[in-house]
Amino acid sequence: MSGILCAIRGGPSSHPTIATSIKLAQETGEIIYFLYVVNLDFLTHSSSSKTNHISQEIHDMGEFILLSAQEQASEAGTQAEGVIREGRVVEEIIAYCEDQSPLYVILGQPEEEGEDNLLSLERLQTFADRIKKACQAQVIFSSEKDIPQEED
Amino acid sequence: MAKTRLAGTILFILALAIFLFSMENVSAADVNNGFSYIFGKIQDAQLQPVEGVEVSLVSGVDSNLETLSSALTQANGSYAIEVPPLVPKQARLNFSRHHFQQKIDSIPPDDLTQLQLGNSVSFPLVTLEREITPAFWIAALIFVIVLVLIATGFLHNTLAAFTGASALLAISYLGSPFFPDLYIFDFPQAITYIDWNVIYLIMGMMMVIAVVENTGIFHWLSYHAYRISGGKMIILLPVLMLITGISSAFLDNVTTMLLMTPITVQIALALNISPLIFLIPEVFASNVIGVSTLIGTPTNILIGSFGNITFNDFLTNLTPGVFLAFLGLVIYSWFTYRKELTEKKPGSPLLLEKLEERGKITNPENLKKAGWIGAGMMLLFIFGEKVNLLPSVTALIGASALLIWIRPDIDEMIGAVDWTTLVFFMSLFIVVGAIQEVGLISAIATMIGELIGQNLVLAMIVVTWFSAILSMVIANIPFTAAMLPVIAYLTLIIPGAESKVLFYCLSIGAAMGGNGSLIGASANMITAGIAERAGYKITYKYFLKKGFPALVITVSLALLWLFIRF
Repeated sequence: MSGILCAIRGGPSSHPTIATSIKLAQETGEIIYFLYVVNLDFLTHSSSSKTNHISQEIHDMGEFILLSAQEQASEAGTQAEGVIREGRVVEEIIAYCEDQSPLYVILGQPEEEGEDNLLSLERLQTFADRIKKACQAQVIFSSEKDIPQEED
Repeated sequence: MAKTRLAGTILFILALAIFLFSMENVSAADVNNGFSYIFGKIQDAQLQPVEGVEVSLVSGVDSNLETLSSALTQANGSYAIEVPPLVPKQARLNFSRHHFQQKIDSIPPDDLTQLQLGNSVSFPLVTLEREITPAFWIAALIFVIVLVLIATGFLHNTLAAFTGASALLAISYLGSPFFPDLYIFDFPQAITYIDWNVIYLIMGMMMVIAVVENTGIFHWLSYHAYRISGGKMIILLPVLMLITGISSAFLDNVTTMLLMTPITVQIALALNISPLIFLIPEVFASNVIGVSTLIGTPTNILIGSFGNITFNDFLTNLTPGVFLAFLGLVIYSWFTYRKELTEKKPGSPLLLEKLEERGKITNPENLKKAGWIGAGMMLLFIFGEKVNLLPSVTALIGASALLIWIRPDIDEMIGAVDWTTLVFFMSLFIVVGAIQEVGLISAIATMIGELIGQNLVLAMIVVTWFSAILSMVIANIPFTAAMLPVIAYLTLIIPGAESKVLFYCLSIGAAMGGNGSLIGASANMITAGIAERAGYKITYKYFLKKGFPALVITVSLALLWLFIRF
């Protein structure tokens, strides 16, 4: 068992998760594995014939999101790698945990109900329990306050 | 198995097209000159020819009519009824058709004399009045349900339309034997409402697009947009908007945004800014410039085919207005995102390097061939009207030529055709055909006609804004399909509208109206879907806030152009 799994989807909501994983990597010396999941569910209502092509385009976009996170990790003096999987986000995180058995899994924690986050607080706890069951990893929740404040 | 199914589908469509074509030719067969005939034409209250009216030469009292001879009206509303050698003095003409009030007219005495002498006569134009039956309400209800299912996303668009078409036919076949008033139409009649010109045009263009989208042209264009702008976002924004818009004028908007959104996200990440600053104006540009050509949007394809408006007509009558609207849109976008666009943030050297690496043409050979074929198709679209070449035929010629030249994996190419969309269109034509058949469209046309009167300027304003506002909340394709007969009626009754200006108003309203809300256009939803996968959520409120002013600006400018032009 080794490494820190940090599933991200890019954008502002991933900033706390990335910051938490970097902080943890600095403390433990573990490698960060940033995970991006290509999910094409939004295509179900149109353009089904484009699935193959758009899957590649979103894969490329995911690579950019991962590179951006890796760049931040590198600037903070930590080691990070990017991983891309395709499917449903929750299922792919579990599958990755089963395959790679990371030591830590970082999950974004919503500050309040209804905030733009993948899971509600209650469902997040259930999800964390599933991860623990799958790979015995320690699940850490991140939040906005984990983002280092920029100096003026 | 899948190959067989695909081949079967194509064969079925071809056979159906040949069958319909031959039916039309049979119905237009010459009349035998050895007999005397009564010729005539039938129209509805909207002055449109009525097909399928049973015209019978009858004698006797109303309660006990004896049919001497009968005929059906053709697509242009005309009929030719054979007259037996001995015509009774009390002979009359009986006109009957589902969803119309029955009418029995006497034959004028002079005409009767001519017929008795064995001469043919021409009967005065007959106007049939609509009859509201339970079928009217059922067809209307099913149409509304389909619209709601599409708008709410409760069912896949295609499944919603397909279910609607099936329900209409099921009610006609299973309900009418017990309750005749439930009859809407039969299957042969239902499929006459499918516009095969639209279906084949979309199919042909899908094959061409499938080749172009795999050449890396969008990556190349976007990277060079970044290079040209020198990283200055105030320049990069209109260049990206223009690339998206021009692409949308030749490809469908959904495909354009499917390709442009992930690339735009990459550019924005490399420049360390929010992708929404580019994505929102891009999707607006896609919805606006897409209207400039006949093939740019499905709504234009529908309008062009129904209104007999050519590729050139769109170019001369609409394109300048569209570019005027685009100019307004660029200024609006600069103003809306002025803060973000002028903010100086350092880009990521690593990501910029990656962007350059990806900004290459991946298949130059195919791109070159597609370019030549594309240029040939443009020439055919532009000059083909001189020989009455339908756009669908041009698209098919182009697609076949490209496939023969490139020789791709044919299964892959057939798979690239979005059959789901084609089935959606076919089913939708049947659903809209049903409300046309039962007279709902006529009722709406009459109502709008009375409201507008004979004022062309008022008609242009009402059609444009009515279409724009409704397209914000309902899918613009079914809306446009339903509005076409209404516009055709207004074009007939309003002096000056014979220039087909109201069709252009519909085109502007239906497509640019999509900018008003997130659900207003499929391209908006696709953009939002991909942006969300990059962690940038486009909420309904955010889109409305940015989109509604864009709608007002672009629709006003395009309408202003139409006022100048017409």
